[in-house]
Amino acid sequence: MQISLKLKIKVSDIMSKKKTYDEAVIRLEEIVALLERGGKGLDETLLLYEEGAVLLKQCQEDLKSAEGKLSELRLEDFEKELSKD
Amino acid sequence: MREVSELTSGPLGIGHFVNLIRKTIKQDRLFQNQAIKGEVSQWKQYPSGHTYFTLRDNDGQMSAVIWRGRCKIDDSIKEGSEVVVIASLDLYAKQGRVQLIVDKIEPINAIGEMEETLRKLKIKLREEGVFELEKKSLPLIPKHIAIITGTGSAALSDMNRLIDNRWPGLRRTVIGVLVQGKNAAEEIVRGISVARKLSQPDIAKKRGQPPVDVIIVGRGGGSPEDLWAFNLEPVARAIIATETPIISAIGHESDLLVSDMVADVRASTPSNAIERCVPDYNAIQMYLSELGERLDSSSIRQIGDVRNKLKLLSSMLKAAPMAGFTKVKIKIQGLASRLKNSSKVLLAKELSRISNFETSLSAVHPYRVLERGYSMVQNESGDVLTEIKQLEIGQRITMNFADGLADADIIEIKNKSE
Repeated sequence: MQISLKLKIKVSDIMSKKKTYDEAVIRLEEIVALLERGGKGLDETLLLYEEGAVLLKQCQEDLKSAEGKLSELRLEDFEKELSKD
Repeated sequence: MREVSELTSGPLGIGHFVNLIRKTIKQDRLFQNQAIKGEVSQWKQYPSGHTYFTLRDNDGQMSAVIWRGRCKIDDSIKEGSEVVVIASLDLYAKQGRVQLIVDKIEPINAIGEMEETLRKLKIKLREEGVFELEKKSLPLIPKHIAIITGTGSAALSDMNRLIDNRWPGLRRTVIGVLVQGKNAAEEIVRGISVARKLSQPDIAKKRGQPPVDVIIVGRGGGSPEDLWAFNLEPVARAIIATETPIISAIGHESDLLVSDMVADVRASTPSNAIERCVPDYNAIQMYLSELGERLDSSSIRQIGDVRNKLKLLSSMLKAAPMAGFTKVKIKIQGLASRLKNSSKVLLAKELSRISNFETSLSAVHPYRVLERGYSMVQNESGDVLTEIKQLEIGQRITMNFADGLADADIIEIKNKSE
């Protein structure tokens, strides 16, 4: 019980920090490599899987968030817009 | 030359001959877009807007013309000025006159000054250690690209086309600036400053966009003078001060410009800048789903491994010495419960057999028969008489009916066989 409690705290720590896409992909690759290497216990496997699934979802959301409009203005118009902010 | 040999059957018209020379001149790259140095003489600007002069030095001379509006002419150029021109040789067939058609003209002292300034700037930046600064790496996926370049330029449409090929609908902000001429450097600096503001999280949030995470500053190719703004200190300083990864993307292959040296990434052309910072969307998607599949399959395999390990463990336990005793105990318990179960079953079977017996018993009770119209005969001692030979004449019998008894005497006996 104590062990799983400790691990749970660790996972919530990991999840609370929002990673950049680059960090998320790198960690995801690391997790897949760890699982593919094998030799992990059930608890650890499940934790890694859970973390990996969350990261994968984040990466896919990040891809979506890169979509947006094309805005093209002359320099002065941007300067005017930004001076209002 | 082929044309000449084809026409050697007779004398050539002079006009034809001169035009053949003209064609030869036009085809020879040595005579086209050549940089030529010399001294200006007979400098004359006509009201038509064309400028005629002679370019000369101690070894030779040739007349030259700058057509109206062809290029900017520095005010300092006058009789006796040392200049460099970019010019092409042409032959005016009607007059048989060869002349230089000038595309660009720069006074030599001005060029010298510019190059000297550039040389000093490079030394200064090197001494400051600017070239050794760590280059910022580009993000794997850009969520917001800022492009600082000429509005409506070919470079911009190349970049937009390439982005749409690689990642349709990728967010980008284009900041239109002058990229050549006197004001170019100042506008490029202001453009970079706008992009830097857009890369600040708080400003980006107010605008409802992700912060700019890649900046491209660039333009298509051109002459060294066209590109000069990218060699100037204010532009270099603006690039150095930028916290966001910045790509210098000026279309040229020759010497490095200062912006190339100080930017995080130097792209050879504006299109190359896009290739460097915009990945192929489909490839990224495929990679992510591959990672997802590998995550699933490796986890499942890992769980399977754990289960197999447990199985192995339990079989090892059974094989342990103490297990024998436990096994026997379990067997006995098993037998006992089986016994208990089976005796219960047996009892139930017996009960059901008895109840069946009862049913059949009641079915054969004599009264049931009597009810159907038969009667039972007993002798005086109560024996049931079933055969004729148990009877004799004069014997008293009792006849049983379902609802009562009657006594009778035998008066005659008849065998069936008789």
